[in-house]
Amino acid sequence: MRLYLSEGSPQGLKVLAAAGASGARVRLERVPPDGHVVPFLTHPRVPALHLDSGTFLFSPNAICQYFFLLAGKEHTDLTSQWLEWEATELQPAVSTALYGHVVQGKKGGEVLGAIRKTLAYIDQSLTSKTTPYLTGEAESVADIVLWATLFPVLQDEFCLPDELQALRSWFRIMNLLEPCRNAVESVLTPKGAEQFKAYLQKQPVSCLHSEKPATN
Amino acid sequence: MAVAAGLGPEAEELVLLEKSLGLTKGNKYGVQGERKSPVLQINNGPSLTGLATIATHLVKQAKKEQLLGKTAEEKAVVQQWLEYRVTQIALPCTKEDTRVILKDLNLYLEDKVYLARNNFTLADILMYYGLHHIIIDLTVQEKEKYLNVSRWFNHIQHYPGIRQHLSSIIFMKNRLFTNA
Repeated sequence: MRLYLSEGSPQGLKVLAAAGASGARVRLERVPPDGHVVPFLTHPRVPALHLDSGTFLFSPNAICQYFFLLAGKEHTDLTSQWLEWEATELQPAVSTALYGHVVQGKKGGEVLGAIRKTLAYIDQSLTSKTTPYLTGEAESVADIVLWATLFPVLQDEFCLPDELQALRSWFRIMNLLEPCRNAVESVLTPKGAEQFKAYLQKQPVSCLHSEKPATN
Repeated sequence: MAVAAGLGPEAEELVLLEKSLGLTKGNKYGVQGERKSPVLQINNGPSLTGLATIATHLVKQAKKEQLLGKTAEEKAVVQQWLEYRVTQIALPCTKEDTRVILKDLNLYLEDKVYLARNNFTLADILMYYGLHHIIIDLTVQEKEKYLNVSRWFNHIQHYPGIRQHLSSIIFMKNRLFTNA
């Protein structure tokens, strides 16, 4: 199977990390951010996975789930719930924050403000559990997906306020996992979040501002 | 679709899904947040939030796991269209968004009977419920333009137990427009 990736696509991190964590063997193909890979889609969507059967998967979360399924890890109610929450709540908030930071030049606190509510939600869930990861004792597809979405805005745990203790330590553990470190090295250059600029500028504004930023 | 006071349209869809799955002991749903995401309280357990998550749970409860896909590939395809359903179709769509959704689906369904190729799955059911309010407003000419979507939609609405009280949408058997 071929995994199509483009420079600076924030979603590239999660599929690479998921491939690493699940041991999926993929052939990487680098394409431009506006590369038209999936034949039936009007708007280019990268990353995309082209299976040997001819099927295209264009949703990064479905690609991550597929890798874990191949490794024999079925999804549970809890992993489904985190992935759906990530797609409907976290991603729109992070896109707004990242756009504000990279394209509009907003700084630290202002950027975090846009995702404050979602960060607090993850922190609460981790606090109410006794396990180190979101769904249990070992990292699951949910941990990989959430970590990868947060990484471009957070980079390291030090920008998180002290009161989000549980989120800080989870994020630190995730950053140290080998598949996550490898994915960062493969997707990012020393330019840091600037990497995502060209990609974000090409996104239609409507999809970036679909969510009202959190006010608290 | 009649929307009960306080319940979002997504919770209404879950009620339809329960019936189509043959689950007779109806669940009670709450809603959460600005998006009015449905919430299901499980007996003595934690609650579940989100249309796709709860729908997947109901399918397992009804012991109809084949609706979630049989192979890893089919499972991923089903999850992908469920995600598409909650991220692309749940939001208020502009005319242009709707056009792109229909165009993409039409091309995708060109060589397929169902969203997961030859097998009827949960993705077809939720996509049918989600698209009903869009398809109902299409003109005869638009229905011809998106011929594969029309064929698929008509197929699903005739699938036993799926449509229930939703209005049946008429599709012409013969083409009226030569250039559609």
